Amino acid sequence: MPPFSTTTYGTNTGRQVGRVMKIILLAASLLFCTAQLSAQDAESEPSHAGHVPVLSGGLGYVYNVNGGTSTLSPIIDPVLLLALGSHVLVESRADFVGVFQRRNGNGDYTGQVFSYVDYAQIDWLANTHAMVVAGKYITPFGIYAERLVPIWISTFQSNPLTYSVGTRTSGAGVGGQLRGVVAQTNKYSVQYSAYFSAFSSVYQLDAARTTGFDASVYFPVHRFEVGTSYQRFLQQRHINSEAAYVSWQPPHIPLDVKAEYDHSYYGHGYWIQAAYTLSQVPVANSFFKRMELGGRMEQVFPLNGGGNGLPRIDTQRPGVALNYYIRDDLRLVSSYQRQFSSAKDVNIWNIGFTYRWQWPLWPGRE
Amino acid sequence: MENPGTLSRFVISIALVAAGLWFPGRQLFARENTDKQNATSATSSTERVKRTGEQIFMENCSRCHRPPMAISPRITGTIVMHMRVRAKLSREDEQALLRYLAP
Repeated sequence: MPPFSTTTYGTNTGRQVGRVMKIILLAASLLFCTAQLSAQDAESEPSHAGHVPVLSGGLGYVYNVNGGTSTLSPIIDPVLLLALGSHVLVESRADFVGVFQRRNGNGDYTGQVFSYVDYAQIDWLANTHAMVVAGKYITPFGIYAERLVPIWISTFQSNPLTYSVGTRTSGAGVGGQLRGVVAQTNKYSVQYSAYFSAFSSVYQLDAARTTGFDASVYFPVHRFEVGTSYQRFLQQRHINSEAAYVSWQPPHIPLDVKAEYDHSYYGHGYWIQAAYTLSQVPVANSFFKRMELGGRMEQVFPLNGGGNGLPRIDTQRPGVALNYYIRDDLRLVSSYQRQFSSAKDVNIWNIGFTYRWQWPLWPGRE
Repeated sequence: MENPGTLSRFVISIALVAAGLWFPGRQLFARENTDKQNATSATSSTERVKRTGEQIFMENCSRCHRPPMAISPRITGTIVMHMRVRAKLSREDEQALLRYLAP
């Protein structure tokens, strides 16, 4: 028999008083915390920065020719940012990609639009050393997936051949992540992220069971970053994936160099990319300073049969890109890559435009 | 409080709520004091802070993309929070960026 099954008027009254007290105290504590956060926000940020919700993102329209097959790809990637005070951020990015190809090779363009939630996460910016992320997040592996994928950022409109290493199965994890700064001085900053993702087959929240970390050191004076990533894939065949990467933007040259080496059970390979803005051209400077010239070289060497996103035979893919910034948020993009493999050599062309926007979703002070 | 069980639950509830109040309150006050100190030292040299904020902006934004020419002040706080998570910036850098972008 339960210990409180004997019902008396006095016992019920005591329980009710207890419940009411709990509710009042809980409400008081919540109010206290909220008030403290508001006070902190007001005092800790001596600026006029507002925290209104934002609809940001990028859109583009890219005409792609891959091995003679042409594809029209309109793309919209809206990003929703919702700040709850100055320490909690809810953010999500969706991906709407149209894939339209000629019917029977030379007919009308036909196809469909695919939609996907890239990430939907809540961030608690606890302090410098720890930011807690929960929900569906982009897998922090290597330098490409988290930082260079957005259409308005990428120099080339195609992902590197090794992109699937460390990002299986969906490029995202569902679970928790801890990230932040371990130590920072004027000369360097040591940064990290560590995560665990559960298996999920829920629609738009699909993810594999994985765990891993990323660590990097950034030298701001030289604008040089070196980092490494590790992932343990914890379902089906348990495999390790590793990556090492560098990023360098020389302070006095408009150059951006990035490179990454990836290794997994199914293969290994690298990509190295450089983008140079022609702002140092002495003639017609107002024209050339908006022009960006890029080059990328990539190679993949499959292991154990390859697959799982990697080519099954040795593949090389050099390429060049030429992008023109009409404004800082609007640019024309173009690229050419030649893919070599023992099966078939193909040309890959891209031409189009990209646009980035940031819109406040709520009125606020200017 | 006729029942000893009710009394003990009430005491435990009070203790838990008090702990819940004390811990975040302590954290918040500690953070607030640090922020106040940072703000005081920051305002001692406006020029230095402005330059530092600009340096942080140029050093970190360009790691991934071209820095934007302008950001509306009313969304600056939200955007910088997003970038702090993405670029793993320190709270000090975040504060300097806010002062630089929306002084």
